[in-house]
Formats: sequence, C-alpha cells, structure tokens
Amino acid sequence: MLNRTDFDAHAGEMTFLVGPSGCGKTTLISILSAMLRADEGDATVFGADLKALSGRALSRFRGETVGFVFQQFNLLPALDAAENAAVPLIVHGMATGRARRRASELLDRLGLAESLKKFPRELSGGQQQRVAIARALVHDPKLIVCDEPTASLDGASGHAVMNILRTLAVRPDRAAIIVTHDDRIFQFADRIAFMADGRVVRTEKRPFEEMH
Amino acid sequence: MLPIALKMLFGDPMKLIGLVFGIAFSTLLMSQQGGFFIGLISRAANVIADAREATIWVMDPQTETVEGPTNMRATELLRVRGVQGVLWAVPLVRASGTVRTAEGRSTTASFIGVDDASLVGMTGRFVAGAPEDLRRPDAIAIDQLGFARLWPGEQLKTGKVLEVNDRRAVIAAITDAAPGFAAPVVVYTRLSQALVYVPGGRNTLSFVLVRNVPESDAVTVARRISETTGLRALTSQAFERATIDYVLANTGIAFSFGVVIALGAIVGILVCGLTFTLFVNDNIRQFAVLKAIGVSNGRILGMVASQAIVVAFIGYSIGIWLSSAFFDGVNQPLSDLKGFWLPWQVAALSAAAVLAIVLLATVVSLRRVFALDPAITFRG
Repeated sequence: MLNRTDFDAHAGEMTFLVGPSGCGKTTLISILSAMLRADEGDATVFGADLKALSGRALSRFRGETVGFVFQQFNLLPALDAAENAAVPLIVHGMATGRARRRASELLDRLGLAESLKKFPRELSGGQQQRVAIARALVHDPKLIVCDEPTASLDGASGHAVMNILRTLAVRPDRAAIIVTHDDRIFQFADRIAFMADGRVVRTEKRPFEEMH
Repeated sequence: MLPIALKMLFGDPMKLIGLVFGIAFSTLLMSQQGGFFIGLISRAANVIADAREATIWVMDPQTETVEGPTNMRATELLRVRGVQGVLWAVPLVRASGTVRTAEGRSTTASFIGVDDASLVGMTGRFVAGAPEDLRRPDAIAIDQLGFARLWPGEQLKTGKVLEVNDRRAVIAAITDAAPGFAAPVVVYTRLSQALVYVPGGRNTLSFVLVRNVPESDAVTVARRISETTGLRALTSQAFERATIDYVLANTGIAFSFGVVIALGAIVGILVCGLTFTLFVNDNIRQFAVLKAIGVSNGRILGMVASQAIVVAFIGYSIGIWLSSAFFDGVNQPLSDLKGFWLPWQVAALSAAAVLAIVLLATVVSLRRVFALDPAITFRG
C-alpha cells in the first residue's frame, strides 16, 4: 500500500529503491511498470500517463517500454537460453530465427556464448540471471525494472550481475530501477530512494562514477 | 507465439501424455461405440439392402420390420401384380429356424425364401457356387459365417448336408450376405423349399418384392399399391428407414449405446478438462511472466487454444486410428462382428465432440489466466 508518495527516476541513472519488507517497494514498481493501476494519483513514465491507458495499451506499453529482471529469474523452462532471451522480440512480432540471432549476440556479450542451447535447469543461478538480463534488454526498452536481482545469488555472482547491469542497462535515454535489500550492491547506485510505510522518505544522490 | 506455446506443451511430457490419453480414450470410446451402434441398426435393414432388384416392398399392414413380418395369403401377390405401374412382383418369405449338422452342431438362422423362377431377393455376393445352384433339390445357400459356425476350421465348400427342422438340406452355394439383426446367419433357398423347412400354414407370403416400370416413380407406385390392395407398400429406402426407426423406438439399443457414448464424452471432458486445467495452472507463473512482458490476454488465448488444438489432434488421431484398427480387425467374413465398420460420419462427430471437449477445457482453464495479475512475478 502506498501513501501519498512521490518518486522520480531519471534516464541515464540507476535508481535503487530500498526499505523494509512491506514498505511498498513492490507496489511502487508494479505501478511504474504498468502492471498495477494506482487507485489515486498519477504515474507518468517517459511521458505516458499510465492511468489513462486501457488494459491492452498497458500490455503494449510493458512490452515496448519496460524490461524486467525478477528475483526468481522467471525463465520459461521449456525454452533454451537463446529462446528465453528472445521472447520479448517474438512478442513484438519478430521472426523466431531473427529474434534468436539477436538474443544470441546479447548473450554472447554477457558471456553465455557456450550456453545458448542450454535450458534453465542446466544453468547456474548467476547464468540464469544473466539470461534474464538479456531478456530484459534485448528489445531495447527505456525502463529497466529489477526486483531483488541479486537475492538468489551468492556474493560473487551478485556482484557480477550488477556489473553487467551497470554496463549494459545504464544509458542516457534509459532509466533503471532496482528494488533491493542487498546493501552489498548499493555501490552500483546513482540514486537511492529509501521507503518506509508506503512512502519514499529520503532520496540520496550517489555519484557512481566518482566512487569508482 | 505459436512455437513458444508448443514448446511449453511438449516441455511437460507427463501432462502431455495425460492429455493425449484422455482425448484418445474418449475418441476411441465414442467412435467405437458409435460404429457398433450404426453397424447393429444397419443389420436390421441388411436383407432389404441385399435385394437390390426390388424398388418397392409390399407387406401386411401390421408388418413393421423386415425381421418380423406378419405373413399374408399367397393371393395378395396377384393383386399386387395387377396394379398399374408394376413391372414385376415376386414373393418372398422370411422366417427363423435352426440348422444342424450331422455332428450335432447347430445355429439359428434367418431363412429367406425367394421366388423359384426369378430368384429375386437373393444377395448378389457369392463366395462359392452361384444363384442357379439353388434350383437343385434340397438346395440352400448359407453365408460364410454360418458355415464357419457349423464347421469351424474347415475350408468353405459346397455339398455339405444339413438338417433344417428335421428336413434334409444341401449347401449348394456359399454367400457373403450381410448379417441379419435377430440372427446373423442368413440362409437363402427357393420359396417352395423354404415352406418345406418352415411351414407357414395358410399364410405363406411375408413380402411381395416389386419393381416399378421405368417411366413411373417408385413412391407413386407404392402409394397406388397401398390404395388398391390395402397392403403396406414402401420404397426400399423408406422400408429401410422404417425398419431402423422401429428398432430404435422399440429396443433399448439407442439408449444403451447413447449412455456409453455419453460416458465416453464425459470421461473425455473430465480427464481432459482436469489435466488441461492442471497444465495451465502449473504454468500460471509462466503465463504471468508473459503477461508482464507484454503478451495480451488475446495472445495468451491463442497460445492456450493452439496447445489445446494440438493435443486434440494428436489424441483424436490416436483414438480414431485405434478405433479404425479395431473395426478392421473384427470386420472379417467369418467374424460374428462382420458388417461393423467405422462410418465417416461417426469419425466426424467424434472429431466435433473432441473439439468441443478441448474448447471447454480451454475456456475453464483460461478463466484463471485472464484474471491473473502479472505483478505476481515480483513475488518470490
């Protein structure tokens, strides 16, 4: 439940959304990623008023504008790595073969060139999350939403995943929002919004480039 | 999205097998019982179908079917012959009797006595001998099934001697006659010989077989015969229909087969509906992910419908193949189930039922998917 909260995420930045369980982080990113409608208030993402969009338009908006990385990876078990990464392109109507080639190029950049034909059950947690990142980025969305992307990974894998996200997801025309409890990865943030009781109570700007 | 839908389907082999089994079993049950039903009621009218030369059947007004005629006086034949539009009219007697071999084997048979002169009313399918052989003394023609029952394992051959109601009969020909309804064994003989075997008392005529003159219409001539003689006259097709209708209305066949066919459909609906719903529910998170990344409900409907149609196609193909193989196996000349087959109409109706079953299963299972909140993907 959100309570009269304001939240801004900026293109070209990686914004972390942190706070205790039940503080409203998931509700907030669900609204921003057009999965949930706010009962009151406004949600504007890259100029689109989400409240004014129909259910079908919200689906299209999610498909075109948002890339998701989930805590549980949520890969489709019947598809291999390349097919999983290609799903958003296929959803947009791209031919399966072309979509697979494009997804394979991205997986190659993520170090999974040898695992293109492996199924999720054959991949480690870190590898699965990299496939999920490829799926989130393959259709070049303007908004990347990551829900606890390192929660299911050990420290080294989590660090590697964040490095990849930092390298590939952050672009001047793209915003990335990371929901996390994991303070080991705060160093990757450009901005951290702290939430409590359904509100963003404090926002910190952290100049990432200066720190690294 | 079709390739993704199919990979989801084939990626879960156990559930796929369950779904295919449900549809295949349901198809087998419906089509096999449907084929049996059609085969059985067709038997009721086989004698009519085998008498190809006749276009009109004339009978006592109380006669309902070809299997159970009320006999008429022999003079009715002459009255029918006198009706305008009748090209020829010949007598036919039909009765039941028991045939017995010298070794003591016996079987019940339908006796059909055909006109001594023309032999009209006899089947045209002969395996051994010919219609003309019936002109010999004590000659009868028995079908293959009857021969096999009386002399199991022996080669079909003419010349064998039988007893029919304590009278001597010699097998002069062996036919491939279509089996009857009450007794599957069919014995043809001359009318005069038939009356020796199964005496009919004063009334010795079961039917008069008529052919109308070419320039007239069989329906009109049949009506004229009825009006002129007071007898019941029907075209061959109308009599086949009336016989089948009588069997359906006065026996429990339609009801009992209907119950089994309905059970087949219910089993299909239950097995397929439950398994498909389980399949969709197990994949609910995957559908939520697809919805999250922009797949609309309409496209998910398309995915699930294509999965259902593929399952229906595979299951139906297996079921109808099994059913067809069954009928191919039993529809042999010496089998008690001779004449049972799988009509294309039964196959088509089974296909329609299977399609209805999977569409119902799709609708039931999709209700949850449509109401699915894609935000569940954010929950661990």
